[in-house]
Amino acid sequence: MNQKPGVCTFCGTGCGHFIGVENNRIARVYPSQNHPVSKGRLCVRGWNIHELLDTPDRIKKPLIRSDGPFVEASCDEAVGRLIDSLKKYPPESIGFLASPRSSNEEQYLLMKLARSVFGTNNICLDSESGHRASLNVLHAGTGMAGMLGSIEEICGAEFILVAGIDITRQNPIIGSEIHMAARAGAMVVTMDSRRTQIARLSKKFLQVRPGANKLAVLALAKTIYEENLHDPSFLEAHTEGFEGFRRAFGKLSENELYEKTGLKADEIKTVARHLARAKSAMVFFSSGISGLDEDTIGYIYNLFLLAGKIGKEGCGVNPIAGLNNLQGGYDMGLAPDLLTGFQPLADAATAKKFEKEWGTALPSSPGKPIYRSLADQASELKALVVVDHDEGIVRYADAIKKLDFVAYIGAFKNPFAEYAHVVLPIATYVQEDATFTNAERRIQLSTKKIEPEDGLLPGWKLYSMIAAKAGRAWKYAKVSEVMDEIARLTPAYAGVTHAKLAGGFGLQWPVDDKNPGGTRRFDLAKAGRKLAFYGVSDVFEAPSADDRFPFLLMVGKAQHFWHQNNLMKKTHIPMREYNATLMDYPEGYVEICPQSAKEIGVRDRWPVRVVSPHGEMRVSARVSDDVSPNTAYAPYFVQEMISRFLLGHTEVLRQGEDATIPVRIEKV
Amino acid sequence: MTMFLIKKSDVGKIAEELARDHQVYGPMIEKGSGQTFFDRADDVSEISLSAPIPSNPPKSVVFPQMERVLAYEYDRPKNSVKIEPDYKVEPKALVGLRPCDLAGMLCLDRFFMGQEFVDEVYLAHRKKMFIVTNTCVAPFKQCFCVCTDSGPAASEGYDLNLTDLGDEFLVETGSEKGAVFAAGLGLAAADDSHLARKKKIVDKSISLFEDIAVDSKAWISRVMNRVTTGFVKEEVWEYIGDQCFECGACSFVCPSCSCFNIADVTNPECEGCADRLRSWDSCSYEGYSRMAGGHNPRKPVEDRRNKRFFCKLSYSQMKKYLRPGCVGCGRCAWVCPGDIGLPNVVTYVRREITR
Amino acid sequence: MSQVLNIQDGKIVTVPEVATIEEIRDEIREVKTFYLSIDNREIWSGFKYKSGQFIMLTVFGSGEFAVSLPPSPENDRFHITVRTVGKVTSALHALKPGDKVGIRGPFGNGFPFEEFKGKNLVYVAGGIGLIPLRSSIVHALQHKKDFGRVLVLHGARTPDDLMYKENLKEWQSFEGFETYITVDVSTPGWTGETGFVHTLFDKANLPIDNTVAFVCGPPVMFNTVIGELMKRGLSDENIYSTLERHMKCGVGKCQHCAVGRTLVCTDGPVYTYRQIKTLGEEI
Ligand SMILES: Cc1cc2nc3c(=O)[nH]c(=O)nc-3n(C[C@H](O)[C@H](O)[C@H](O)COP(=O)(O)OP(=O)(O)OC[C@H]3O[C@@H](n4cnc5c(N)ncnc54)[C@H](O)[C@@H]3O)c2cc1C
Ligand code: SF4
Ligand code: SF4
Ligand code: SF4
Ligand code: FES
Repeated sequence: MNQKPGVCTFCGTGCGHFIGVENNRIARVYPSQNHPVSKGRLCVRGWNIHELLDTPDRIKKPLIRSDGPFVEASCDEAVGRLIDSLKKYPPESIGFLASPRSSNEEQYLLMKLARSVFGTNNICLDSESGHRASLNVLHAGTGMAGMLGSIEEICGAEFILVAGIDITRQNPIIGSEIHMAARAGAMVVTMDSRRTQIARLSKKFLQVRPGANKLAVLALAKTIYEENLHDPSFLEAHTEGFEGFRRAFGKLSENELYEKTGLKADEIKTVARHLARAKSAMVFFSSGISGLDEDTIGYIYNLFLLAGKIGKEGCGVNPIAGLNNLQGGYDMGLAPDLLTGFQPLADAATAKKFEKEWGTALPSSPGKPIYRSLADQASELKALVVVDHDEGIVRYADAIKKLDFVAYIGAFKNPFAEYAHVVLPIATYVQEDATFTNAERRIQLSTKKIEPEDGLLPGWKLYSMIAAKAGRAWKYAKVSEVMDEIARLTPAYAGVTHAKLAGGFGLQWPVDDKNPGGTRRFDLAKAGRKLAFYGVSDVFEAPSADDRFPFLLMVGKAQHFWHQNNLMKKTHIPMREYNATLMDYPEGYVEICPQSAKEIGVRDRWPVRVVSPHGEMRVSARVSDDVSPNTAYAPYFVQEMISRFLLGHTEVLRQGEDATIPVRIEKV
Repeated sequence: MTMFLIKKSDVGKIAEELARDHQVYGPMIEKGSGQTFFDRADDVSEISLSAPIPSNPPKSVVFPQMERVLAYEYDRPKNSVKIEPDYKVEPKALVGLRPCDLAGMLCLDRFFMGQEFVDEVYLAHRKKMFIVTNTCVAPFKQCFCVCTDSGPAASEGYDLNLTDLGDEFLVETGSEKGAVFAAGLGLAAADDSHLARKKKIVDKSISLFEDIAVDSKAWISRVMNRVTTGFVKEEVWEYIGDQCFECGACSFVCPSCSCFNIADVTNPECEGCADRLRSWDSCSYEGYSRMAGGHNPRKPVEDRRNKRFFCKLSYSQMKKYLRPGCVGCGRCAWVCPGDIGLPNVVTYVRREITR
Repeated sequence: MSQVLNIQDGKIVTVPEVATIEEIRDEIREVKTFYLSIDNREIWSGFKYKSGQFIMLTVFGSGEFAVSLPPSPENDRFHITVRTVGKVTSALHALKPGDKVGIRGPFGNGFPFEEFKGKNLVYVAGGIGLIPLRSSIVHALQHKKDFGRVLVLHGARTPDDLMYKENLKEWQSFEGFETYITVDVSTPGWTGETGFVHTLFDKANLPIDNTVAFVCGPPVMFNTVIGELMKRGLSDENIYSTLERHMKCGVGKCQHCAVGRTLVCTDGPVYTYRQIKTLGEEI
C-alpha cells in the first residue's frame, strides 16, 4: 500500500490526508476518514495539494548575485555570502521575516538562529499581526495564547457566532463543522457586513454596517447585562475586571447603537438571549493575514465571558488561523518580544533558561517587527532574511529594494526572491518529518514522503549548517531532537515528542505531566485563576458616510488572500478556480448591490470610478445581493487595485476586516 | 459457469496466484488510522476480504487522480519535436472488489470504451485485467446499493466472485478467463446447495440495510423520474446549491464519475518540454465550465450541482452507462462538507424542501 | 501506440502530430491567421475534414486548445484563425513562421451539407463568429450551383473589428453571392452601415422560404438574431449554429464541454436551434 499519512499544509484547519507517491514524486492525495478534525473531508485546496507538491516551479539551486543577474552557486558559497553579509551589520540592522508555513522545528531554529547566532530580536512572521491581537487578548484573559475551544467540540455547541470571517472559503472544513452543527440544531449566527455563504447557512444573519462590528458586540453585551441574562455568581467567582467593561455600556444609547450598526432592536435582543441561554456557545473570528482589531476582539472575548461561555464543554473563543502554521509560529516565539510558548523575552527566568540551553546570552536590545521597520523611513534595517514568503504580492517593495542585503530561503519560487542577493533552496514539507500546530493548538506530525532532490536540505539542516559556519555548532542528529529541545524550553510543549505524535492525529497543547494526552479546550476547573475581562477602550469611531462620499467601502482580505497566495499559483485546478473571478474582472472590481447600481446607472462589469478623499481608481462594478445599499466591497487581491488605490489607505487597512473607507462611486 | 469452494484459510491463494503475472490491487487497512484503501498490494497477504468498503473508489486504478498521458520535447534550436504517449499496458488483478464498485467500473468501461472514441489511456489500464469481486454479507453504514441495483452481490462483469459462506468461500466464475484460472487452483466443486446458501446470505444482507434503502427501489427511481423529466423545483436545487462548498470531493470519490482536467506541466529547465497530465476534475468547480471571454454557461453553483445529480440520477444518462450513474456506495455522503451527499439530495427532491 | 484512428468516413489523428507554421497574417486586433501543415506527409494527405469541424492544437510548452477550421474542405489553404484570450492562445501568437505546433483531429460533427442542396443559405456572423462559418461559406461558393441565394451578413463592433476583410470583398464579386456588412460603432472614414447585424435583414431582403441560416457570435447577438429570424418565420430546425464550450479532450471523455445531455465535441459543435432549445442550459 502506498498511502502516507500527513497533514494538509494550506490553512490552519490542519486536515488529515494521505499522500500517494510514485517514483519519488507526489502523485495523489486522499482525505483521512478517521481524523478528528477533518473526518474524511478536504476543501478544494486540500484535494489538489498534490498538484502543488509535484510542481516543477521550485527553487532548486542556491543563487547569488552581486550587481548583475543571479548565478548558481554551491550551498557553501551561498551560505558563506549570507553570513558575511549579515555580520557586516550591527544586530539592530538585521531582520528575519519568518514564514507561517514553515514547520515548528524550522520556525524554532530560525528563531534560535536570529537570536543566538546573529544576536537580533528583529524577527517576526511575514503575515500581519491579526493573530497576535487575538493571542494577546486570550493570553491576558485566560493565560492560554490559543483557541480556547476545539474544532471537535463544534458539533456540541448550542450557539455559534461567526464574526467577520468568510469561513467556508478561508477554513472550509471548520465552516463545514459549523454548517453540520447548524443542521443538527445549533443556533448559528453570522455577523458580517457582506452576505457570505456561512451567512446564508446561518439561522440568523446580522448584517452590520461596515466598521461597526465592535458596536454590534457591545449591543449584545449590553442586552445581556441589562436584561440580567448573565450569571452574577459566575462573574463573582471566576472573573475580574468586569467594571471596566461595564463602563462602555453607558457610552451610547440603544438607539444610537441601532443606528450605527444598522441592526434592529429585536435582532440584537433575540441573538443576545440565545447566546445567554445556550448551555454552550462558541465564537469564530478571523485573524492571521487579516482580522478584527484587538479592541473588537477584546469586546468579543468580554461578551463571551459575561455570558459565561468560557472554559466549559462546547464553549470557546476561537480565533481562526488562516495559514497552516501561524499558531505554531507564535508558539515558536517568532515575535520580537516573545520566546516559545508565548513566554515573554523580558522575563528574566525564561531568558535564563534559554541562555542555559543555548549556551549563549540572548540579545538585549528590543527588536522591532519587520514590516514596521520597512514602513519607517528612518529605520536602521539594512539586511533582511526572508523565509518562504506566502503572498504573491510583495508589499513595501520600494523599501525592500533599498536594503543593502536581502536573502530569500524557500522551497517554491516567489516574486520576493527577485529582491534577493542570495537565494537558498530548502526541501518541501513532504521531504522531511515536520510538525505543525493548527488553529486549535493541535500539534501534528507529518512524516517524510519523498527524498529531497539532489543537494536540497530540509530547513533544520540548512539552519544548522548556517549556525555551524557562523561558529556555533548545533548538535542535532535528527529533526526529532529539535522538538525535544522545544519541549525542554516550552511548558505547553513539555510532553511532546515525535515518537508520541507518530501514528496518531496529534495532540493539543498544553501537553505536559498534568495533561499527557493534551488539552482539548481551556478548562475553567483547571485554570487555577480568575478570568480577566480584557481592558477595552470605550471610544467608538465608526466611520460614517456623508454626501460627498456616500458609500462605505470595506476591503476584504480574508476572503481572498488565497488569490494572492503564491502557492495557489503553482497548482492547476485551484488556480483555475481562483482565477475565474479575476478573469471576469481583470482590473478588479467593487461590489455594490442592485439598487446602488441602478442609482449610479451601471450594470455588472461596467466600469466605475471609486473616489476617496485620498485617491481614486477605475475598476468594474460587480453587482451582487451580498452587500447592502450604500456599502461597497473591494477585494484585496488584484495587484492593480492594491497598488493604485488601496496602498494609499494602508493606515485604515491596518484595522483588518473592519477597515472601511468612505467613497463615492461614479459611472465612467 | 462453474462454481467451486475454497477454504477460508486458503482464500489468500487466489491473490498469490494472480500475483505471479499481475499487479495485484485490493482492499487493505492502513495501520495507523484504520482506514481502508483500495490500493496496490506489495504484499498480497495484506489484502483483507473482511475490510469495510474502501475509502477510495477503485477507479483510482484505471483512472488515477493524476496521470501523465503524454510527454513532448520541442528542441527549438533543432526545430524538432518528440511526442510520446506515456502509458503502458500492464496486467492488473483487482481482488476483493465490492459489487457497487464493480458496477462503477462497468459504468466507466462503457463510457471510456463504448462511445464513439475509445479512450486509449483507460484501455491501457483496463486491458488484461482480472477481477475478483466479494459479496457483501452485511452492508456498511452508508450503503444503499439495493436501491441502485448494484449490490450487495455482483451479477455480471467479474472473472471470479467470492461469497463468504461462513467457514468457506463460494467461488463463482463469470468468464472464460475466470473459469480457467479457478480450474487451475484445484478446488472442490460447489453445487446448488451452496448457491442456495449464498442466496440466503444475500437476502439476510439485504434485510440489514437502512430502512429507506430496503423500502423499495422506488425510493430512488421516483427521484430519477423527476430529475429526468426536469420536474424538480428551482428552489430545491438552490437549497442544495447553497450548501455546496465547491470542494469537488463528491466527484473524486464517486466510482462512476470520470471528469478530468488536462494540463501541460512545463519544465522550467526546458522551455518547450512538458508532461501532459490528466487529473480528476469536478463539475462542481466554477472554472470547470468557464469559457474564454468570461462567458460561463453554468455560473450559479446550483446549476453546477444540478449537473452532477443529473449525471447520477437521470435516465437519459443510462445510454451512457446502461444503468443509473449512481451505484449506491454512499461515499459522497461522508466526504461532503455541505452534507449534501446523494442520499440527502434524493431526500430533498422527494420532500421538495424549499427554503 | 496507434496514432491515427479510423472511423467510418476518414482518419482521425488522436495523438498530436507535429505541424509547421508556414505563414502568419494579422487579421484584426488580437486575431491572427496561421497557415499550417502536418509534417508527416502521409498523414497530411489523408487529413480530411468537414466544414464545421475543429482540431485540438498544441502549443508546445504551454497547452492545447480547440480551434475551428475556417478553410473549405476542398481547394483551400489550410489555416486557423485565433484570438488571444489566455495562456495558450497568447503563446501561439508569440510563435514565428517555421515553428512547430501539434495537431489532433478533426473532431466534431460538422454541417450536414447534403441537406442544404437547393436551398438559400444565410450566414449571420458577429465578430469572430465568422471564423467557424468561413469554411462553410467557401464551400458554398465552390458549389454555388447547388444552392439558391447565398448571403453573408457580418457585423462587428467597429470597422477595425471586421473579420476576413479581403475575403469579404472577394466573395462579393461572385455571381449570386451577397455580402452585407455593418458595425456597431462607426469610426471616421467609415461609409458603410452602422447598427447591429440584424438591422441588415431588410436591406438584404432576407429569404425565408427554403432557407437555412447559420448564426454565430457572442451570446447577446446570437439571441437577438435568432429572435429576429424566428419572427420572420424561419423555423428553428433551419437555424444552425456552432457552440463553443470549454474543451479539454475533444473526444467526448473529459466532459468539460457537456451541455444538456450532449457533449459539444462529439455531438456538436454544430447544432440546430431546435436542438439547442432542448438542451435546457444557457447558451
Ligand atoms: C469547437 C471550438 C472551436 C473554437 N474555435 C476557435 C477559433 O477558431 N478561434 C479562436 O480564437 N478560438 C476558438 N475557440 C476558443 C478557444 O478554444 C479558446 O479561446 C482557447 O481554448 C483559450 O485558451 P487559452 O489557453 O488561451 O485560455 P486560458 O488561459 O486557458 O483561459 C482563458 C479562458 O478561457 C477558458 N477556456 C479554456 N479552454 C477553453 C476552450 N477550449 N474553450 C473555451 N474557453 C476555454 C478558460 O476557462 C478561461 O476562462 C474554439 C473553441 C471551441 C470549443
Ligand atoms: S480546510 Fe485547510 S487544512 Fe483543510 S483541506 Fe482545506 S486548506 Fe487544507
Ligand atoms: S453518487 Fe455517491 S453514492 Fe452514488 S455512486 Fe457516486 S459516490 Fe457512490
Ligand atoms: S462534496 Fe459536497 S460540497 Fe463538495 S462539491 Fe460535492 S456537493 Fe459540493
Ligand atoms: S472536450 Fe472533452 S468531452 Fe468534450
